[in-house]
Amino acid sequence: MSNMPETVVRAEFEADSLGSAGTADVARKLSFFEKLSDMDSVRKFSILLVLMVAWEMYTRISGVSELLLPKFSDTAVALFNSLVYDDLLIMIKNSLTILVTGYAIGLVIATLLTTAAIMTRFGSDALSTLTAMLNPLPAIALLPLALLWFGLGSASVVFTLLHSVIWPVALNAHTGFMSVSDTQRMVGRNYGLRGVPYVVKLLIPAAFPSILMGLKVGWAYAWRTLIAAELVFGGAIADTSGAQSGGLGWFVFSNQMELQIPAVFAGLFTVILVGVFVESIIFTNIESRTVRRWGMQSS
Amino acid sequence: MSTDKHLPDLVIRPEFVNENIGDAHTGDVARELSLIEKIWNINGVRKATVLLGLIVVWQAYTVLMDVQPLMFPPFTDAALRLWEDLFHGDLPGKIWFSIKVLVYGYAAGMAIAAVMVLWGTSSRLGGDFIAMATAMFNPLPSIAMLPLAMLWFGLGTASLIFVLVHAVLWAVALNTHTGFKNVSHTLRMIGENYGLKGVGFVVRILVPAALPSIMTGMKVGWAFAWRTLIGAELVFGASSGGGGLGWYIFENSQNIETAGVFAGLFMIILIGITVENVLFRNIELKTVNRWGMQRS
Repeated sequence: MSNMPETVVRAEFEADSLGSAGTADVARKLSFFEKLSDMDSVRKFSILLVLMVAWEMYTRISGVSELLLPKFSDTAVALFNSLVYDDLLIMIKNSLTILVTGYAIGLVIATLLTTAAIMTRFGSDALSTLTAMLNPLPAIALLPLALLWFGLGSASVVFTLLHSVIWPVALNAHTGFMSVSDTQRMVGRNYGLRGVPYVVKLLIPAAFPSILMGLKVGWAYAWRTLIAAELVFGGAIADTSGAQSGGLGWFVFSNQMELQIPAVFAGLFTVILVGVFVESIIFTNIESRTVRRWGMQSS
Repeated sequence: MSTDKHLPDLVIRPEFVNENIGDAHTGDVARELSLIEKIWNINGVRKATVLLGLIVVWQAYTVLMDVQPLMFPPFTDAALRLWEDLFHGDLPGKIWFSIKVLVYGYAAGMAIAAVMVLWGTSSRLGGDFIAMATAMFNPLPSIAMLPLAMLWFGLGTASLIFVLVHAVLWAVALNTHTGFKNVSHTLRMIGENYGLKGVGFVVRILVPAALPSIMTGMKVGWAFAWRTLIGAELVFGASSGGGGLGWYIFENSQNIETAGVFAGLFMIILIGITVENVLFRNIELKTVNRWGMQRS
């Protein structure tokens, strides 16, 4: 038993220095200020406010050139002016029209591909080979080719958008369908579901978290691709169809070229606003009405 | 007996004997597969066939239909062009340029994200700041920052790196922060029980426990960074000295050397597949899959 350490028996002792137990704040009224700072939105809003004030102060005090970093107030004024007097609203509409067109067509093609992939083993192999190959390819890299094939116009942008939507959506939907549990499949068959109703009533709801994930990734890629495409070739795309066209990316780019830096920031704000709107309002609403309500995903 | 009204009448079907059933006979329960079936059952073979089929269709279409090579060159032209530029041309230099910028930007983005998330886990203000900043900047395509970056940092690698940092930072910070928040209390208490505090607590408990989420963030960050880099080089590649893969594509498309454009696209696909299926796959196999946190 040489491996065992020797047992040490400690001497017993009494601690004399313990004071009497005093009751601390177990529950107390929070002060007004504490209550206010416990509200999530108040804290976040004040961070935003502090950032804005810091920006304004920095530009006023350090005397940084207006061309490098304009004052926040100038930017806000520029945003207001471009929205009201300039054609920023039309540009937002142009961008969104192209985006929605590309996204919708992309979804249709992705649906067809996924359907083929579920029905046959060969289709499934074809889809996984294609997605493995084309998903890592940034859609914007196809824009030069698209311009060659479809000419300068929104057709080329829609083509690149298609490419950025189809692969993530098809990949995620396919993975989602493949991982629907056998129990659920058998329940569906037990109800006598076949063909299209089987897909619509059983497979799609069961795979919805994954499908939604694909839709979100597809949106993120499409949005980035669209802005990049407009930045690169916005002028070329705009020139073909009159002066009042070109999208948000073009708004940013052309203002940068004319050194209208407050307007550049205004364009960036608009891009952020549209992005936040789609992500936090549209997708969050879809989520809370479907996967969260069905208990498939915790908030 | 009012409840009886709701019940339907019982129908008793007459008994019958089905005369038409033949003898039960056993079909193929198990049989030797033929050689072709065996080969067709190998996953790799089927996928290679798909690839080969695509290439053959491409080649046949362009050769038989007499498509203008300027619009759509045959596959062989593109492959030859890739071979030539890769071994006798300046393509390796351009690839190296792109990858160098990408690695700098990615590393810087990760470092900033790490600092930010540390602040976010240690104070409520930091957490709010991360939530606020990611909600605002994550939907902003980083390429939109490029015009500003060029104004601030001039035409050069610095602006590219700034944009890449922006692409990586928010995706990684968002996913890591969410991952940290979702680490279970049991694991946290175990860490505290071991006397871990501060950085030790983060490195030994939070990071391993949140690694699946961190990996997701790193993969999303890579995807955005890769797309941003190619986009940025397409737009302003020449001005940033040397130029990378995106510039190679742009140059070729300006010279209407479409075979060169396809060669560039092949290269981008190859690098993308290497990073996603070799690099990240291996990291996952050695960490989250080995630790049993995620099924392969």
